[in-house]
Parts: sequence; C-alpha cells; structure tokens
Amino acid sequence: MSQNFRLKNIGLINRDKKISFKFNGKSYFGYEGDTIASALLANGVHLIGRSFKYHRPRGFFGSGVDEPYAIVQLYRNGESVANIKTTEQELFEGLEATSVNCWPNVNFDIGAINNFLKIFLPAGFYYKTFMWPKSFWHKVYEPFIRKAAGFGVASTKHDKERYEHKYEYCDLLVAGSGPSGLASTYAAAKNGARVILAEDKPRFGGTLLTSEVNIGNQTGKEWAESIIAELKEMPNVIIKNRSQVFGYYDHNMLVMSERISDHLPKTKKYSPKERLWYIRAKEVIISSGSIERPLIFGNNDTPGVILSSAAKEYLKVYGVLVGKKPLIFTNNDSGYETAVEFKKNGVDPVILDTRKNPKSEIINEAKNLDIDIKFSYVVVAAKGYKKVRSAEIAKISEDKKELSIIENINCDCICVSGFWTPTIHLASQSGNKTKFNKDIDAFVPGQSKQEETTVGSANGIFTLEETLKNSFDMGYELSKKITKNDNKISVPSVVEKKSTEHDKFWCVPLPKGKNYKRFLDFQNDVAVSDVEIALKEGYRSIEHVKRYTTLGMATDQGKTSNLNGLQLVSNIENKIVPEIGHTTFRPPYTPVTIGAIVGREVGKHSKPTRKSPIHKWHNESNAVFVDAGVWVRPRYYKQGNETLFEGSKREATNVRKNVGVCDVTTLGKIDIKGPDAAELLNRVYTNAWLKLPVGKARYGVMLREDGIVMDDGTTTRISENHYHMTTTTAQAANVLSHLEYYIQVVWPELNVNVVSTTEQWAGAAIAGPNSRKLLQKLFPNLDVSNEGLPFMGYTEGNLFGIFARIFRISFSGELAYEVNVGSDNGNFMWKKIIEIGKEFEIQPYGTEALSTLRIEMGHVAGSELDGRTIPYDNSLEGLVSKKKDFIGKRSLNRKAFTVEDRQKVVGVVPIDKKTSIPEGSHLVKDANAKLPNPKLGYISASCWSVEHDNPFSLAILRDGKNMIGQKLFALSPLKNKSIAVEIVSSHYVDPKGERVRS
Amino acid sequence: MLHIKCPHCGMRSQNEFAYGGDASVKRPELNKEISDLEWDNFVYLRKSLRGKHLELWQHISGCRQWFKVQRDTATHEIFKTLKANEDI
Amino acid sequence: MQKYSVFNLIKNAFSKHQDWDLAWKDPTPKKEYDVVIIGGGGHGLATAYYLAKEHNIKNVAIIEKGWIGGGNVGRNTTIIRSNYMYDDNALFSEFGMNLWRKMSQDLNYNVMFSPRGIINLAHSDAQMNVYTRRGNSMLLNGIDAVLLNREQVKEIIPMADFSDNVRFPIFGALMQPSAGTARHDAVAWGYARQADSMGVDIIQNCEVTGFDISSGKINGVRTSRGDIKVKKIGLCVAGSTNILAEKLNMTIPVETHLLQACVSEPVKPVLDRVVTFGAGHFYISQSDKGEMVMGGDLDGYNSYAQRGNLPTLQHVLTEGIAMMPFLSKLKMLRTWGGIMDMSMDGSPIIDKTHIGGLYLNCGWCYGGFKATPASGWTFAHTIAQDRVHKLNAGYSLNRFNTGHLLDEKGLGTKTWIS
Repeated sequence: MSQNFRLKNIGLINRDKKISFKFNGKSYFGYEGDTIASALLANGVHLIGRSFKYHRPRGFFGSGVDEPYAIVQLYRNGESVANIKTTEQELFEGLEATSVNCWPNVNFDIGAINNFLKIFLPAGFYYKTFMWPKSFWHKVYEPFIRKAAGFGVASTKHDKERYEHKYEYCDLLVAGSGPSGLASTYAAAKNGARVILAEDKPRFGGTLLTSEVNIGNQTGKEWAESIIAELKEMPNVIIKNRSQVFGYYDHNMLVMSERISDHLPKTKKYSPKERLWYIRAKEVIISSGSIERPLIFGNNDTPGVILSSAAKEYLKVYGVLVGKKPLIFTNNDSGYETAVEFKKNGVDPVILDTRKNPKSEIINEAKNLDIDIKFSYVVVAAKGYKKVRSAEIAKISEDKKELSIIENINCDCICVSGFWTPTIHLASQSGNKTKFNKDIDAFVPGQSKQEETTVGSANGIFTLEETLKNSFDMGYELSKKITKNDNKISVPSVVEKKSTEHDKFWCVPLPKGKNYKRFLDFQNDVAVSDVEIALKEGYRSIEHVKRYTTLGMATDQGKTSNLNGLQLVSNIENKIVPEIGHTTFRPPYTPVTIGAIVGREVGKHSKPTRKSPIHKWHNESNAVFVDAGVWVRPRYYKQGNETLFEGSKREATNVRKNVGVCDVTTLGKIDIKGPDAAELLNRVYTNAWLKLPVGKARYGVMLREDGIVMDDGTTTRISENHYHMTTTTAQAANVLSHLEYYIQVVWPELNVNVVSTTEQWAGAAIAGPNSRKLLQKLFPNLDVSNEGLPFMGYTEGNLFGIFARIFRISFSGELAYEVNVGSDNGNFMWKKIIEIGKEFEIQPYGTEALSTLRIEMGHVAGSELDGRTIPYDNSLEGLVSKKKDFIGKRSLNRKAFTVEDRQKVVGVVPIDKKTSIPEGSHLVKDANAKLPNPKLGYISASCWSVEHDNPFSLAILRDGKNMIGQKLFALSPLKNKSIAVEIVSSHYVDPKGERVRS
Repeated sequence: MLHIKCPHCGMRSQNEFAYGGDASVKRPELNKEISDLEWDNFVYLRKSLRGKHLELWQHISGCRQWFKVQRDTATHEIFKTLKANEDI
Repeated sequence: MQKYSVFNLIKNAFSKHQDWDLAWKDPTPKKEYDVVIIGGGGHGLATAYYLAKEHNIKNVAIIEKGWIGGGNVGRNTTIIRSNYMYDDNALFSEFGMNLWRKMSQDLNYNVMFSPRGIINLAHSDAQMNVYTRRGNSMLLNGIDAVLLNREQVKEIIPMADFSDNVRFPIFGALMQPSAGTARHDAVAWGYARQADSMGVDIIQNCEVTGFDISSGKINGVRTSRGDIKVKKIGLCVAGSTNILAEKLNMTIPVETHLLQACVSEPVKPVLDRVVTFGAGHFYISQSDKGEMVMGGDLDGYNSYAQRGNLPTLQHVLTEGIAMMPFLSKLKMLRTWGGIMDMSMDGSPIIDKTHIGGLYLNCGWCYGGFKATPASGWTFAHTIAQDRVHKLNAGYSLNRFNTGHLLDEKGLGTKTWIS
C-alpha cells in the first residue's frame, strides 16, 4: 500500500531502510525510525482500536508516552504482548500488531452496541443495578462485564526474554533531553560532574526537534545534535535513549527502565530485553517537559482528533501528515506553529482560535502566510464515526457561554491545543508539594523535598531563552556544589518567536438540544456528563470523582485528562482548581514491564538454592530431594521402585537395627567465644549453663520474650571460653540475629562474641546400635567407649588426616554421634563413613526417616515448635529453670499459659493400629457433633512407627497431661477421615532413654 | 530504597540492613521484681508515632552490628544514626 | 431515598441522570450526638450503619479527617475470605461472610461481591500439612474448604508454574471456594449512603484535635469544625490509631506500617480466582476491569507515608513471577500504599477501653477489608450495649496480658516480618 500521507523532504526517519509490517493482518510498510503510529498514519490508517466502555472507534491522539488510546496487541519473535502503545513502539521488520477490545474486528465491533445504550450507562451505573437475583452478579453479570473489559490479551506462555538490573551512582541525574535537559547536562558535565542523562524517546532533543528556533548560530535541532555528540564523548557522562525514569523514591533513589531490544525484531544474544537502573543520584534535574492539554468538545474522541503538538511531531519527525484538510482548534499560540508547518508543506489549514483578538509574532506569521483564522470560534462537535469528516463550528460569546449559529466545515482531522501541562510526576513522587500556577493554569513543583530541581517547561517555563538560561545555571550550580569546580559555560543566544497569553477556556458548551458526548478520559470513556453526575450525587472530593467515574485510571494514568477533569470540577463547584487539589502522582510514571522490575531472579533462581557439600553424592545415590527453607536436602534414597513411605521406612528401620548416616550440614551453627559465653547461654536458654564442663554438650531451648519457644538445639563447650551452638535449619539466621541483639544492645557488658559457622562445617549424624563400632573404625586412635565418650560428650579426632569434631548427641533416640569436618572435606568424610560403614550395614537416611525416628521418640521439632507453643506444650518444662532468669521467663506465668488444662504434646495411636492419621487432623470427642465441633487438639506430626510397626502421631492436645489412655477421634474432614484413636505418651520408643546412653 | 549510614561502615543501601523496631524499648533487668503490667508493656508496647522515631537496624549483610537510626516515619528522612551504646 | 434498580436507571436516563439524589449529604456537625464514630473508612461507616439499623441509634456522626473511604478501604486488594485456623478468627470472619453474601441487597448498592474462591498454594508436604490443619479447622467450624492436589490445582489455574524450571514446585493447595472479592469503594459508599439515609451525619474534612474526658469518662470530642458533646466514641482509624491514642494518653499494642499493592495494565480475563503463593508472600486476583491486582509484604519499617519504595514491590513481583511466570510480560500500571495497624499477634482489637464510653477498633493488619461488615456489626454491638459480643470477645485488648493470643502465623511481636 502506498504512503499517501508521507511527505518527501521532511522528517528524521531513514528513508533508505523500508520496513514491512502487518496491522490486523494487512501488510504495510514504513521506514526505520517510524513508530507503529507514524507508519500507520503515513498509510492513512486512523482506526486503531475501540474504547473501554462504549467500544467507540479510537485513533491516535498523541505521539508518545501521553497517548491515551492507540494501543495494540504486539507480536514479536513468537511472543504476544498486550497493550503496546503504538506511539512508542518503533517499527521493526516483520512486526505484527492487532487491534484490541473489539470483536469480531475493529471495523465492525459488536461491543459498539454499548455506544447506543450509553444513556443507560452513566458513571457508576453498575453500582445501581445487577443486584437481582442475588446469585446473578457472580454467575451472569460479572462474567459478561469481565469479558467486555480488559483491552489486550495476556499470553500465559512463560516469558523467554531476559531482564537485567543495574545499580548506578551519579552526581546528577537528568530526566529528559529536551532543551532544558541538554543545557543542564552540558553545564554540569563541563563542570566535572558525573551525569546520567535519560531520554524516553529514541531521539534526543525533545521539542528542539520540532521547534523553529535558533540557538547561537545553529538551528535548535543542530544545536541539540552537537551537544549530544559532545556529551557522548565525555567520560563522565552516561547518556541513554529509550530510557524512562519512572520512579522517584526515597533518599534520591530513582529508577529507570531502559528498553534495549524492543525496537529490534528479536533480542540479541547476551543482551537483555530491558534493563532496570536503580540510580542513587546526589542531585536530580527534572527536565521532563510538558504535555499538551486537550480541548473538550462534542465527539472529541473521533479518530482524527489529535493533539496539535502530535500533529507537528508526525510532520517534522516522521514526515507524515495526519490529514490533508486540517482544522486547528486552539486556545493559545502553539496551534499556530502546527498550522504554519502544514502550510509550509503545502496543506491549507483552518485555525479556530477561542481568543477574541490575540496578537503575537506567530499569529502574524500565520496571517502573512494567508492561513484562514477564525477568532472567537470553537469546534462544537466532530462529525464522522470512524474518522473525522467534518466539524460543527460556531462563534462563541465573550463569556464563553453562548454559541451562535452552527456552521459545518469540511476537515479530515482536528488538531487541538489547550495549552500545556508541566510533567510534574517525578517531582511529586519525590514528596514535593506541588503548587498551582494560575498564569499557566497548571500545577508546578513547589519547595524541593529531596535533592531535586525542576527546569524548563516541566517547571512552567515556556520560553526557550529563559529555559536555557535557567537550565545552564542549574547545571552549573548543582555540579559546583558537588565537584567544587567552577567552570561555567556561557549561555548561547536564542532566537524564538514570542507568544501571547492563552485563553482560560477548555470545554466547549453543548449547543441547545444537542447531547454530544464530550470526553475527558478517552480510554476509559469518561465524559463531562459523567463528572457532572458524580458531583450531583455527592461524590465531590476529587478522589471520589476519580474513583466513581474512573477518570484518569486508564493505562495513560490521566496524562491528558486529569487537569481538564480538575478544571471541570472547579467550574461546577465554583472553586478554584488548587482548592480541589489533585490526586496523588505515584510511580510508575508510565507502565513498566513486570519482568524488568524482577530482573534475573526468575524460575529456578527466584530464590537461592543452598546445597550441602555432599549434595553431589546424594544426587548420584538416587536421593529424592526436599526443600527445607532455601536448603535442598535428601528426603530419602530411592531404591528401585520404592515409594517415599517404603524408602523412609527401610532407612528408619536400618537405623534402629544397624546404623544410618544423615547429612546434617544444614543445621545452623554458631561459634560463641569469650569469658562471658556461659553467662550469655544461661540467659538465652531456659535451662542452666554455668556449670557445663569443657567437652560436654547440652540440649537447650530458647524463648522469645513473649514466652513462645523460638528454637532448640545442642550447644557444646569446646574449650574454656568457646562454645559451639547448633540451631534448627529454619531458625539459623534468626537465632544469630537474636544473640547479636542481646550482646550488642541489651547486655553490651557481656564480654562475648558470636559468629555464624554454618557454612564452615559439614556434618554427618551416625545413628544406630552399630554407630560406636563404625566410629571406632573411623577414629581408630580414639577412645569412643561409653566411658571415653559418654552421652552428650564431645571430643576431637583425626579422620584419615582431617580434623574432626565428634559429638555424642542423638536426635533419633539411638546411640548416635555427629561428626563435623570443614566443609571442603564434607564429601571425603561422607564417603569414608559409607565405605567403612558397609560392614555394619550402613545406609544413608533422609529427612523423612529422620522425622519418623524423632516422632516415635517424642522429640519435638518444627511442626510443634511453630511459633505458638511454650515449653510446657512441648513437654520441655523440665528444661525450664526455676532458679535463674532468662529471656522470656516472665511471660510464662501468664494466665493462658498456666491454666490447668493447658495443651501438651501427646502420642496418638489409631485403635485399629492400621490407619495412618493425616497430619493436620483435629482431635475431637464426638466425631459426629454438630458444627462448630469443639476441637481439643491437632495432629502435628505422623509417621509409621518402625519400632512398633503401626502408625503413630504426635498431637498438641488440650489437657494432654490428663488425657493419656483416653479414646478420641482424629478428624480430617478435608480427606473424609474419621479415625478412632487412643492417646498415649509421646515417648513411644525407649521412654527411659536408655539407648542413647548405652 | 533508603540510604542508611551505618555508624561503623558508612552509607549503604537499605538492602544490606534488617529492621529491628522501636529502639526506646528497654528490657527490664534480669531478676528484677517488676509487675506483670510492666513486663507485658515491655513485651507488647512500642512507640510508633508519626514523625521522629528512634529505631534499631542491623547491618546484616555487612558488619552485623545493631545500631540506632532516628528517622521520620512520615517522610523517611534520616536525621541521625548512632551506635547501639550511644544515646540521642 | 431513591431505590437503585434497573428500572430507575432507565427512568433516569430519560432525564439525563439529572434527578439522582445525593448518595450522602454534607452536613455541618451538630452540637451533640449519642455516638461519634471517628474514622470514615469502611469499618467506621459500617459501624454507623449497624448502630442505626440493628440498635436504632441514629443520632450518630462519623467524623472523617479527609474524605470517606480514603484510607485502607480504598487501598486494598479487595480479598474477602474466612479461611482462618483459630476459632475466634474463623467464626468472626464467617459471620462476616454471611453479611457479604447479602450486602448488595442489604445496602441497595452493588458491591460486586464475587465468590470466586481463594487458592492458597502449597510448595511442600510440610506446608500441605499446615494447610490441612487449617482447612480441617475451617470445616469443623462450618466453613467451606477443599484440599487440592497438584493436578487439581493445574486444572483450575494452568497458568501457574507447573514447569521444571521452578524453584518451589506446587504440591497442592487449600481452597476456600466461597471466598472472593468485592468492589472496595462501593462498600464504603454503600454503607455511607444507607447510614446517611437513616439519619447518620457523615462529616468529612473534620479532624479530631482532642477529647473531653472527665472522671474517666468521655464527655466530648474536639474537632477542627468545633466541639461536639458525646458520651460514646468509637475509634475506628486504622493507620492513625497511634496518633489518636497519643491524644488519649494511651499506648496500644499496634505498630504502624506501610503495605504496598499494585495493578498491571488491564487485560482480557485470564485468572478468575484469588491465588496466594506459599513460598513467600504474594497474592493476586484479576479485577473486573482486567487489571491484575497484586500485593505482598510490608515495606518493613514503621511508616506513615502512603508511598513506598520499589525493592519491596520488586520482591513481591519476584514471587509473583515465581508463581505465575506469564506475569513477566505484563506491565505494572499503578502502585499505591496503605497504612496498616500491625498488632502484636496479627489479629485485631475490638473492645472497650479503660475510659468509659471510649471504644476501640484497630489492629487489622493485612485483613481489614474483608472484616468490614463483621467489624462494623460487632463494634456497633459493643458500643450500643457497652459490652463485647461473643463474636469479638477474642479480640480483647487484655489478651496481651492474659496470653490468649491469636497468632495465626506464629510470628510474634516482630510485626514487620511476614
């Protein structure tokens, strides 16, 4: 298809490189440097999609990030992406895009029936209906509404793209590369500051690319190009295009998203799709410019109604005419610049100026060019459904209330200019309380809250001369503050056309008898009448107006609609705009890809994976792994077709019968050193520690100050002032922090220090009747007899040349030892144990067997110590000293903790000795009681007792102490289970603890 | 992301630190006779006002020292950081 | 009051919707009320509504510093559920579920309660056990719960990560089919409109500056719009509880923290359930507009700023992608923050205080929105009868002295850890 709307000799696109692409299945071509929007406009395509609520036809309104509705579904390199702004997406070879929110297609959209029903669908209509019958909302109405909403389609495929993060520090971050951004960057860079300059668009220069101005002896565009060229060569400057600073956070941290690959057919190898920059800047210059404000009139959402500045940009940057019979509708001088550009390129525009008799250089120029200008004129309504075909226009009275006779004028586009809205988002996000500037009828930044300065039109300054002077000054001043250099650049002279005042008029009144929709928010279909209804119904706070009408809540977040909404509310409520106040600006300034925010921590890398040094051996030995926090541990070592149940039973049985070995590297380990180490332990643990001899270990329980058990483990006195503490895998980090808190903050007088040694040691637990024999073979020179190394004893040994710590401690209730060696030797130790253990029938065992062994011993662990139980609940009250004070002791005497029928851990056995009781079952008296059925306790852990060969569980049971021998029911209604059970002691194996001491 | 000056290491980004809550909480001395109410207040009551707040942080991915930060809870401005044994 | 109905909507269309009544009036404060509710959020508005409706106490004012519904009722992720383990929480929430189910009809305002079901994903057998305990507890309390295995989860939410490239595979889930979402603003507005119609004064832009207390009893409240005589005050100001408590010389076991949430750009329906991640803290649902509504952790330090920092959202969204990788390609459109009352055991407080006529409703942590009707109902009862109802008996202030804590997560007093 030919490009009927492309001009020959104007624009910054690369005409040597044609690019073909598809829109709604039809092939078109554009040039390198085009956006989808500019390329489609060059091809005369204006109908791009349908609106949210009424499914009205939508075209292009802006030329960049401000675009409220020209969004498409984009297909790139086999991926489908929703809601891409056509005004931002650059063309690449093979690009395909389709319209969104229309069915069956954009030309004929069934949803457009809403447009005819629109009188029944005012703001908030859904709050007033869809209530009958009761069940219909969720089942009938809502699914229908959900289907109608939503724009693009989210592909549920996994994202193949890669995203990166980068952290950067700089003296000065400049957001926006228009005249103010370039000037301040240049001044600061020349003064030695480390500067980052970010530009959202592919091209640097901002309005200099489209304005008819001269700076020094160059055109604005040439000046911009020369400055950029120079900055690119400076080592202290980073300049980034396609980079949006979207968030201004605390302590001068700003975040920028850089689109590395979106303009390419596919992402290059070793290159991310997008890069997120966390930038900590000493100073920030916000030079984000301003966005043209729309004028509101009937059917102002018709394709072909476009911002005048966008029309100019399409013309000057892309060489594209948005129409050949343009109507320019303006309340200020900016519209004239667009008109002049049309005229210069052979197209005759008509200007409607709401002002009565304005005078300025640009108006004179337009007059001199013989452009048809109608003063005190307004557009009443656009005509045409899928494209502007004509306009109803009328003369307007001086008070702007009365329209005279309506005339029709032929046109194919209407370029609107309602003056300018400074882009103050970043300043506002920084905490800056913005203020209303009535000269420009818009908000500008107020007193700086962080180290931020706003310059140029973002600060409400609309002349180039003042912008450059101010920006050069700020760049210099801020850099001087940081670098202490004093290298000041002189400000170049400027030639620009002076403009005159804008008209404080944005919303054309309706002619008598007409009911045109006048839109404020184009994407969400919020019209003037909707705001009127909201106010009429008492939704008067601007936040209520916004939420009731959804004004400014679309994907453009109200960039072109918020201020007009405020103005409208202020007109109706007879208040000035600043009294209404504006809704809060929050990051992101423009939508940011979630993948980019997340970066590389995806898939298997979403959280770290910690493996023991013996992991490889486990893997090679058919271990089935289980996540234990971020650690990965063997759950059981699968033999043949064994199930978890069979495998763990085999492993546990072998421990009880022969000997097993378990990798316990993951246990938290903390080294405690200093003369007051014992005193610290004595305060941290509930039991007594002052008299523990060197070479002895002791089991301890520690509480939080609220009396709840925090963790348990053994601590060993290695030497006079040196202890080795173990914690559970899950609590290792918390316990370390806890100890540090008490040492550093609460009891700094204690002469003791702690350090984590979890990663320093690899540990193997050797458990079972044969463990001593095995240990003797591992350490032939050591006396490992019951006398030489008694229960809870500690010694050190030489494991074939490797230093080892040997603890006689037991989690399984069997005669057991734990051997620790340096992590690097963990694998060596393990292999030696397996090799030498062969003759004693050794088998490795995983966490499941470990669990079985501890459960049938009645040894509490994580499922009982769940942050809600006290020592008594876990039958650990014997370890609670009555004599000394310790962390959390005072909390233990509270009423709920000392009631007669306080819960306590018990053993539970099914009466039929066969049916396993699911963990998480609740114990009740009456299985068939009516609901709510009073719960007496719950099953915390279950296993198949290998000792008794029947199921066994632990439970936390109310009045557990007096319940032994009682018959109850374990109910798991989730699993349809009701099991008759008997309560027994939690010590189901070796209740006297003889084996560990044997 | 906050920028916090560890009194031992200097300015660091917040992701090196862990928060520790109200720094004005004083643990009762060991073995001291106090009322139940005093104890419960120590365990459960915190200063949590709008404005200047003295709080604990730990340089968990650094020197592992606990220290005090005086910060505005409405603006997050940090006025001062102190070592654990220093008073404001 | 005009009835909202299809019929009236059509009728009004022909008068161009010019004849709709005010949803609520904008009165100036009277000199005296029977009850003043401080805080025009969801809970305050609901309390006033139930005072009028259930207890015939209509000489009531709601005093709101800003605009009604501007706090957490308009800043949450709209999830409604009663999937609690402890009886006190479960029975209270399930009572609330029953109020939710008929709320649109009761209020004649479509709050769009949508019982689409909530799915709590589990990523290990140990977590399945924890959920089993909770689910069984729910069923025994008469609350619906279903345990799903991996295959069943896959059938319902195939877009979750069932691939091999996953750090924490999905083992199964606990589901409460009757849980869901509602339109948050509508809840506040619906209660406001009905309360107003029964005679409650909704007074916006009115800040409390002090209290008039003598011999341990409430006599009045001082506001930026004048002094008001009143014998009973209900304090219902999540996020500002500590600020008002200071004016009352009270310290309450609540810390003030910031919770952020965000939405993606709207897309066509793809997720019709509420889903939570089990290997972290992340929850998601898709709004009727098509936005993915997502939330997770607190910012992690005491905060009164209704604005947060990006690392928290990065962390939250990391868990989001870990759970549903397709989210990666969507764009984050909007973020916001709400100020939370984080109580020391994670459960709320609805109780009388040591000051006669002063009633306290606070400490809702992450769970305030879903509690709106039950909180309003029980708080109204507590105020009207000057005694707690059995439904909120567990939410007493002195449980921190007696030890009858309701710590669903077992995290203790470090409120900022989740």
